[in-house]
Amino acid sequence: MKEGREPRMRRLMIGVAATLLGAVLPVHGQKATERFIPLGQSPGLSQKATTIGEVADVDARAQTLTVVDKDRRLTVKITEQTQIWLDRSKVKQTTLTGSFSDLKSGRRVEVKYLDPDTRQIAEWVKVEVAQ
Amino acid sequence: MPGETRGRLPRRLVPAVLAGGLSLAACPSQPPVDPEAARIGRGRQIFFNETFGGNGRTCGTCHREERSFGIDPAFIATLPKNDPLFVAEFNPDLKQNFENPRLMREFGLILENLDGFDDLASRFTQRGVPHVLALRTSIDSPQGPRTGWSGDGAPADGSLRSFAVGAVIQHFTKRLDRVPGVDFRLPIDEELDALEAFQRSLGRERDLELPLPLRGTVASRGQAIFLDDRLGKCNICHRNAGANATLGGRDAGNANFNTGVESLPDQPARLTAELVPTDDGFGTPGNGTFNTPPLVEAADTGPFFHNNAIETIEGAVAFYNGQAFNNSPSGRFLASTDPNGVGIRLDATQIVAVAAFLRVINTLENIRASTELLGQAEAFSFFQRASAQALLRSAAKEAGDGVAVLRSGCLHPDAVGHLEESVRLIQDAERSLFGRRRLIREAIRAQESARTRLIGEGK
Repeated sequence: MKEGREPRMRRLMIGVAATLLGAVLPVHGQKATERFIPLGQSPGLSQKATTIGEVADVDARAQTLTVVDKDRRLTVKITEQTQIWLDRSKVKQTTLTGSFSDLKSGRRVEVKYLDPDTRQIAEWVKVEVAQ
Repeated sequence: MPGETRGRLPRRLVPAVLAGGLSLAACPSQPPVDPEAARIGRGRQIFFNETFGGNGRTCGTCHREERSFGIDPAFIATLPKNDPLFVAEFNPDLKQNFENPRLMREFGLILENLDGFDDLASRFTQRGVPHVLALRTSIDSPQGPRTGWSGDGAPADGSLRSFAVGAVIQHFTKRLDRVPGVDFRLPIDEELDALEAFQRSLGRERDLELPLPLRGTVASRGQAIFLDDRLGKCNICHRNAGANATLGGRDAGNANFNTGVESLPDQPARLTAELVPTDDGFGTPGNGTFNTPPLVEAADTGPFFHNNAIETIEGAVAFYNGQAFNNSPSGRFLASTDPNGVGIRLDATQIVAVAAFLRVINTLENIRASTELLGQAEAFSFFQRASAQALLRSAAKEAGDGVAVLRSGCLHPDAVGHLEESVRLIQDAERSLFGRRRLIREAIRAQESARTRLIGEGK
């Protein structure tokens, strides 16, 4: 009886350890270089796992951003972990780190979701600076 | 391992080489080029020649074909001062916070801003250059692809295809502003497809099936220790000496672990007065885990670990015997599953035996790759001499790698002799006008003789 349980326990513990050690963590693209990729040009990501559109509304109190993408309106939560970048590649200047106050109505943005299925929390937002 | 030569060409390179126009003369019997081979050939051309409008570096600046698609201090010492690798030494815009020339030259370390670009002076890591062999077998996980030392090397969707975009931004830029269209251009879709195809074509396409019927006494014992989940425990994370783990009885694919490499005392780079911040691995901020590399290619692709902390394969095996590993989350976990509460505890003879096993399987891979290249070179006609010569040079490099790997471990002198003979025959074949095919066949026979000294029938 004891011999039969030991391998099972061992397998269970290895499974638990796999979680602890990071073996089942979600894969992330390297965010560090992501900031320099112009809005809409992230391979395999832009417009597949992101939304590109104009800022329709910003709720500072609720810390939400509403983006109009063609005829769809999507509202997403901005958290302290959300990266906001000012994409100035169109004016041939470097990308800057932005903040919630840079999210203004009418600006063109790309939003990547932390939760791709439910699309409620933004992982990063690129804000296009064209002038 | 100074002095040895290295190199691996993709298995589907023959038509790709032809497509690249390397042949001396057009040949009416030229085989049709299939689209995938053409893509691989295009990827090769981009990998080694395309600077993307940046500072002069290409992918091949760091991933050197002659060093098994990695780079090491011994090779760096042979490069001219104006090699693009040293761009931080001659481009004033990159003098600060782009590379650390001392750490690059002394330890083969490359600067990466994995946790962001907001504090270039103090927020960076120094990492070695991983080889890009056998990627088909080593980057897939149930959670998606894992690339680079910490498994999160690619931006965008995190795929191997997207990896080049991040590499261009990090390493190819003319200035630290990193403005696309000014400091570099980003790869277009066609280039990303080609680069991915080329990289996936390099090296092994499948994992070994252990145990192998090895002939060497010490290497055989090393294999047994490697496979013993109560002794070496290597096979748990490096199944079949590859990059995939078996956890909880299930295939976990390519996984990340915190093995405590960052806790090693006396890490070479940190013995200098240079700033070497802690590398926190996967994610931002990192969770301390790093990605599992394949081991078949390990013996001829040192230095080892993400920080090039250890120079020899014996030292790399011994790492798992030390306190840094055994006090790490991975080491403590292994201890928790051990009836005697031991993580990994090997004696010196056992460490050398596991390393001998790794040296032998590396050499078997060298022989496989070299023989394959020889077969491809043999197929070329008299009028395709230049194409054949390119393959023969790579075949000689592979065989030379096998010689160096065995000799450094004082293993199988009989096999070394046959491999050296094969190198001489390949070099003769490269020079020969009329005896090329005969010499190639003799070289293949010499490699077969070497192989039969390493491994018995059945595998």
